[in-house]
Amino acid sequence: MAMVNLTINGQKVSAPAGSTVLQAARLANIDIPTLCDHPALAPIGACRMCLVEVKGQRTLQPACTFPIAEGMEVQTESQPVTDARKFVLDLLFAERNHYCMYCEMSGDCELQALGYRYGIDHWVYPTYTKRFPVDASRKYFLMDHNRCILCRRCVRACSELVANHTLGVRQRGAASMIQADMDVPFGQSTCVSCGTCLQVCPTGALVDKRSAFMGRDIQTQHIQSTCAQCSIGCGMEIVTRDGNVLRIEGDWNAPVNAGLLCQKGRFDPLYDARPRITKPLVRKNGVLKEVDWDTAVQIVVQALKDTNAKDWGVLTTTYATNEALYLLDKLFRQELGVTNVGLLNDVAPKMVEKANGSLADVNNSDIILLVGANPASEQPVASFFIKRALNKGARLIVVDDQENGLAAFASMNLGMAEVEKAIEFAQRATNPVVLYGAGVTSEAARALQKLSGKAAFVALEPGVNTRAAAALGLNSGFDPSASKALYVLLGEQNWNGELVKKDAFVIVQASYQSPLTERADVVLPMAIWAERTGTVTNTEGRIQKVNKAVEPKGEAKPDWEILSLLASKMGKKIGTSLDEVSAHAAQAIHPS
Amino acid sequence: MFEKVLTRNFSLPRSESIDTYLANGGYQALQKVLREYTPEQVIEMVTASGLRGRGGAGFPAGRKWAFIPKDPQIEKYVCVNTDEGEPGTFKDRELVEKDPHQVIEGVIIASYAVGAHRAFVYIRGEFFLGVKRWIKAIDDAYAKGFLGKNILGSGFSLDLSVHRGAGAYICGEETALIESLEGKRGQPRKKPPYPASVGLWGKPTLVHNVETLANVPHIINRGAEWYASIGTPKSTGPKIFCVSGHVKNRGIFELPLGVPLREILYEYAGGMAFDKKLKAVIPGGASTPMLTPDQLDIPMAFETLEAAGTMLGTGAIIVMNEDTCMVDVARRLMRFFAHESCGHCTPCRTGTTRMLALLEDLEHGRGKAEDIERLEEIASKMRGLTFCPMGDAAANPILSSLKLFRDEYEYHVKYKRCAVAA
Repeated sequence: MAMVNLTINGQKVSAPAGSTVLQAARLANIDIPTLCDHPALAPIGACRMCLVEVKGQRTLQPACTFPIAEGMEVQTESQPVTDARKFVLDLLFAERNHYCMYCEMSGDCELQALGYRYGIDHWVYPTYTKRFPVDASRKYFLMDHNRCILCRRCVRACSELVANHTLGVRQRGAASMIQADMDVPFGQSTCVSCGTCLQVCPTGALVDKRSAFMGRDIQTQHIQSTCAQCSIGCGMEIVTRDGNVLRIEGDWNAPVNAGLLCQKGRFDPLYDARPRITKPLVRKNGVLKEVDWDTAVQIVVQALKDTNAKDWGVLTTTYATNEALYLLDKLFRQELGVTNVGLLNDVAPKMVEKANGSLADVNNSDIILLVGANPASEQPVASFFIKRALNKGARLIVVDDQENGLAAFASMNLGMAEVEKAIEFAQRATNPVVLYGAGVTSEAARALQKLSGKAAFVALEPGVNTRAAAALGLNSGFDPSASKALYVLLGEQNWNGELVKKDAFVIVQASYQSPLTERADVVLPMAIWAERTGTVTNTEGRIQKVNKAVEPKGEAKPDWEILSLLASKMGKKIGTSLDEVSAHAAQAIHPS
Repeated sequence: MFEKVLTRNFSLPRSESIDTYLANGGYQALQKVLREYTPEQVIEMVTASGLRGRGGAGFPAGRKWAFIPKDPQIEKYVCVNTDEGEPGTFKDRELVEKDPHQVIEGVIIASYAVGAHRAFVYIRGEFFLGVKRWIKAIDDAYAKGFLGKNILGSGFSLDLSVHRGAGAYICGEETALIESLEGKRGQPRKKPPYPASVGLWGKPTLVHNVETLANVPHIINRGAEWYASIGTPKSTGPKIFCVSGHVKNRGIFELPLGVPLREILYEYAGGMAFDKKLKAVIPGGASTPMLTPDQLDIPMAFETLEAAGTMLGTGAIIVMNEDTCMVDVARRLMRFFAHESCGHCTPCRTGTTRMLALLEDLEHGRGKAEDIERLEEIASKMRGLTFCPMGDAAANPILSSLKLFRDEYEYHVKYKRCAVAA
């Protein structure tokens, strides 16, 4: 790549051609303050904080948009520059209500930090006395227009990253206001509550309701992990303080999502109000009694020994780690010989011999076939990718017999029987992508084979770790009525246990109380997503790490640890340390 | 008496009709261009004529045309800027209402020169008659074969249509005009890239003021040399001056560039109304710094006004007599700019609002001595900081009125009323 040489503050800097002054400065670790700029968003040069002196230019230029040129001389902290920045800050602080001491973001606010940096110790201009509204109509976060500096990061995040185009600006000049749709309350708008705007807001204008006033960033810990609420596997940071999860933020450096999260991943897990199971429970005289782990495990081991393998049934959620699924498969299917094994959700059919597509292909596609999958509700982040591609000019054809959340965005909506028509369009395209889910019929799957070699096939697996479960062969078809004893790895999922025989012996490994745990004979308390370490496999087959952010509640144990405990009590040596199990699991999921 | 060029048909009956225009030598320049000239020759002629943009900035038209890429594979557009919103300016409206075909002919020639096959008229939404006249004129031009496919058998095609603005001053700025034309929020784009390389829908786009384009047919008909002989060496050609304010005859006057301001005011505009004393003149529209009576002999040309620290702008001359309160003038101007700021960048959005608040206080006798300094500070710091030139436009008149009439501001602070008899 061609490099351009310039000097910033007398320091020689070289940066790729086409960079802006700000990008070049960042490469050289030269700090230029910004407000409206965000690395993930296109620069708009609105706030005028990043103004720098460029030799030969009549006026100060915004570093975020000004392109570099060979031999350019830039000053980032000269007197005219700092004067200008101070002036801009004076104006910003006087525009709306920026009394920091009452603000949730105080301490973490970018505007406040710049105020300190440039010595804004009083209001130079009379402050704005007008009161702006606060919109708290959304469930998870609120918009306080009084704190808004109109940087439009939220607007750009909503349109550029999420491609949802809910946010915009109404009016003009000082009357400009961030608004949703055609000025409706946020809670009644087309907002999908992905929270991306919340994550990019530099001030306290967008505030998370749950974690508000629960501590400054410096008092918290950020634990990198992978979201395990659907099969996309978005990188996230779990923000905790004193052993409590405050909120979840998207990881800007994550390979799959690059910062995006959705309502399912960012907010819903924190609002789970179901009562937890904190101790092992065993049914005695018809009543579930709390016991210690040894007793519970002893009873399970005894049951496993007493019952014939062909009378056993094993059912698992896909909300489990690779390690747990591997151990489940190893212990029950391979060591004990249980054959009646199944998943709590469907699996997308195997479409191509070797998966050749990734979610990144969606971005460069010109036509997208969405077949038998509903990412708008199942894998929202994937639906953002699709809408982003549509913004760039791609066309979407939805092939689905069910109601589809992206139907309104499609240039064509077809039934599963009309899949041929969609295939015709894909054959004429340059970069077609087929996104398929469990709803693909076998006829449609056969027809779509025509596109192999031409199109990128990307599965949108239902559930979470479905890809790993399928690779391990855990989806071999399950009949609950056939088993006299049942081991259910229920985890965080809900299942009412229909069709389970009345007299069957049921062992449940679960995090929350549910109809099935009420009916079970043994309940083993399991840790939830934030309390476990391990790996998960996303729908592309990418194995990613999940990390423990907080300690398991009560005596709950991580999913794989419970199975490892059972195995060792039964005298089976199938791995005891996490690293060992992870390595075995990875090998089993991606046999090399 | 100067021979009228742009307004020569204005006094004819039904001057806006295509028949009148044709009967007076209309569309002959177009026929000449299509038959005899290559696009390069047209650009050369316009460059040689020295024609400069009449929308305010005075950029040489020929150079602007030459910036448009020559590659015929690249689609290009021409936009006619009829978003005349600068307070005090009413020349484009007259041109469109009284002689729209003159402009259309200019558009076709410009499009031919830069290789555009699609042109748009962006007209201010409030110009109701203007819209009607534009549409009628375009329809008539299509009917006569001056627009559409294969114009006059030359093989050159051009489509022209009218787009109405929704009432924003800033859409007169070329990139904001393009944004609005694309159906987006009317606010300027960052420059570079300039519209000549990345404009409407990302394609090279030539945006011209109505008056600029109206000059083009005359340059073709009568030659670049004739055109360059009018006006001063650096500001050539005729210019329509809009005179408003405290003069006897308000209206438009077509005169050669370089004509002394005194001549416009006293010979053409009939001098001061009610024989009051002249106090100040805004020479080029609301965003240009003011002139005082001792500067009346200044020639009205781009370079001379620039040397005097102001601008020719759109040639909108606003005359103020001795009864005018200059604080009130500043307040009214700032009310306009605060209202028209698009709100994109901080200094313009907040700076204009703060200045307006200070001016309101001063005008209504609530001002303090430091408010004058504050006002001067905002205006001077705001210049050059904003995203588009509108920040400068808002600051200029304030700075000049503070420079020239500071005593009036101080009077307001001291006596809590205007210095002039009210």
